[in-house]
Amino acid sequence: MRSLPALVGRTASAWGILAPALYVVIGVATVAIVRGDPKFALAGGSAWALAAELGAGLLLIAAALAAPGARAGHARFAGLVIVAALAWPLQEWAVPAAASGLFTAGLLLHAAWPPLLGAAALRGPDERPLSRSAVLVLACAFTTSIGVLGAGSAAFFDPRAQGCLECPRNRVLIAGDANTWHDLGQAGLTLSAVWIAGFAALAVTRLVRASPARRRVAAPVLVPTVAALVLFGIDALHGRPRGFLSNDPTDRALWAGEIAALALVAAGVAWGPVRTRRARSALARLVVDLGASPAPGGLRGLLAGTLDDPALELVHGVEDGGGWIDADGHTVTVSTGPEREVTRIVGGDRGVSAVLHRRGLLDDPALTAEIARAARLALDHERLHATRRAHLEALRTSRARIVATADAERRRLEHDLHDGAQQRLVTLAIGVRLARRHHAADDPELDAELATAEHELQAVVGELRELAHGLFPAALDEEGLAAAIEGLAEHEPRLVPGTLPRERCPPHIESAAYFLVREALRLAPAGDVNVDAHRRNGRLVVELRAESAFADLPVRVEDRVGAVGGTISSNADHIRAELPCAS
Amino acid sequence: MRLVIADDEMLLRDGLARLLQDAGFEITGRCGDANAVLHMVEARRPDVAIVDIRMPPNNLDDGLLAAQEIRRRHPEIGVLVLSHHLDSRYAMRLLEDVPERAGYLLKERVSDIAVLADALRRIDEGECVIDPTIVLRLVTRKRERGPLNDLTDREREVLALVAEGHSNGAIGERLFLSHKTVESHISKIFMKLGIGASPARHQRVLAVLAFLRAP
Repeated sequence: MRSLPALVGRTASAWGILAPALYVVIGVATVAIVRGDPKFALAGGSAWALAAELGAGLLLIAAALAAPGARAGHARFAGLVIVAALAWPLQEWAVPAAASGLFTAGLLLHAAWPPLLGAAALRGPDERPLSRSAVLVLACAFTTSIGVLGAGSAAFFDPRAQGCLECPRNRVLIAGDANTWHDLGQAGLTLSAVWIAGFAALAVTRLVRASPARRRVAAPVLVPTVAALVLFGIDALHGRPRGFLSNDPTDRALWAGEIAALALVAAGVAWGPVRTRRARSALARLVVDLGASPAPGGLRGLLAGTLDDPALELVHGVEDGGGWIDADGHTVTVSTGPEREVTRIVGGDRGVSAVLHRRGLLDDPALTAEIARAARLALDHERLHATRRAHLEALRTSRARIVATADAERRRLEHDLHDGAQQRLVTLAIGVRLARRHHAADDPELDAELATAEHELQAVVGELRELAHGLFPAALDEEGLAAAIEGLAEHEPRLVPGTLPRERCPPHIESAAYFLVREALRLAPAGDVNVDAHRRNGRLVVELRAESAFADLPVRVEDRVGAVGGTISSNADHIRAELPCAS
Repeated sequence: MRLVIADDEMLLRDGLARLLQDAGFEITGRCGDANAVLHMVEARRPDVAIVDIRMPPNNLDDGLLAAQEIRRRHPEIGVLVLSHHLDSRYAMRLLEDVPERAGYLLKERVSDIAVLADALRRIDEGECVIDPTIVLRLVTRKRERGPLNDLTDREREVLALVAEGHSNGAIGERLFLSHKTVESHISKIFMKLGIGASPARHQRVLAVLAFLRAP
């Protein structure tokens, strides 16, 4: 069953010319047969009815050839529609007016169009592989139509023996047997009603279960197909008592309904390419809009608008396969749920973007393909920007982390010096003093030496304190930048504090500002350095003025400020830094 | 004089206790924790508590916080904070609430028993004591402009001793000046600095320190 559409698909390329040509030949033959003896024809003597019958098939072929890929031979769906259309007029051929060959073909294939059309509809414009139940229904359909009603009946149908004296010869007759022929006819018609009931059930289930997007794609073809086949099924039940399909008024009324349904199927087939083209042009406009000024996140908004899903999210894959980022380069977690799902879109640079959308919104592969095609440049552009931002962000956080680690290390060293070395040295000094008291009272020489040692120890403690304070002033953590700078000013008389902010900033910002002030003192080896700092618009602005002049800013100072997201500028006697400090 | 010693370094605590006992002080309790010293002061009621600034539980300024708490709860008990911070703001925090009977000395002073004993006696007498190194740094600090630059060297010396918490008598002894001369120096200094006429003895230390600390 799967090989048939494949075969049809492969040969469809030639059918761009072949199918219309074949149909013309079949049409001409049909006209000749119907005109030859209108009383046996479904179309009867009416030229309009005949035109409508042949027109329905023509519409199907035209619509199928317009489907994307039909001419290139990719579309099995289109191929099946074409074959069904070619088989459609053959129901008029099993009549006396036909030549023997056409008459036999009519006997074999007069009921072939319903399973072919059914197969096309189950495949659908979105080229779905056939499900197990679809294969079962179609196997039953083809066996019934071509096997039982076609070849089976024909093998036992001797027209002359049945009283049709003007009928041409049945070329596939094996043995004329009226009873067997009648039984096979009745069985075939019953089975036709059965498989059509199965088909209708399958179609309804599929439409009910489908996501809205899939339903929009499948329904225009599937619904009128069900209608056409149900009409055929009713006709089969109507013909069952006599054992064959004919052209009584009921048959003809149902047949007229089938023509209308086929016209609707043709419209449904034609709708697919129209829809795809509309989506493509909407997306193309969108890309043109974006081309001029692709603001970050703009593509998401336009896709959300175009696809009518306000909550739609557009994310981009990180190059090394480590998760997703948004347009701003921030890492995001993509969480699907009963309401949301993810559709991946592979870009021109092999990078992957993904759309997180309402479940079922992008079930239509054609639409996804169109988005990928139309928005490829914009997607690639946004993905590259997002990736670059993510890299910059990673670099920035890495720099900030290095600085934070260094700060933490300085804090730790400061604590260790105070709690360890200093305490021990003070203890030692006390020990020396005790030794002087208890053991050197009568030995002035020893006492003098111990006194020297004690003074040395006190001096070392003082030096250690300076060292510890230089590593990291405790005031910076405990009371903030202003307290730390005032402490530094007590220590460094050349530093003249001006206005200082009483509000706190994050620790890494305060330490960056503090160490900048200390560096500034080093950069101006002579004369006073005035420092002013204030917070404005979420920035901590630090301004330093030298009485004499500052040396050029060393890279390490710029790095220190840059690492926490700040900027710095300087000239001969002025340094100005801005650091982020949101309130 | 009865003392409580709080320092988390046990050897230092014991050495200091021996040193002070030799000098005639009575040690009524020793501990190494900021919370423990509060209980110990409550129970033993010493004349002065010696408290290290950095102590458990947080190893930050827990000792200073405990000292401030002692000052609030027991104004009659003196507190001497031993610190390794030269920043004057720590000393200010100690004096801010209750300026008398409080002292702030750098840690390395403790081996110099004469200085330590003098500080303890002054605190017990109700004075306050500020480490000379801290005051020196404040006095010599560079300023953009201001009345401090108008002081004579002698006035500056007197100002430093006032800031260290010395009484007029003690200042006179140190500088070999008469009581009257000291008084006239002080009133002149206070006028130049614009500090209110002559604040009470303890308050004047605070006023001078606040003036010196102002940028």
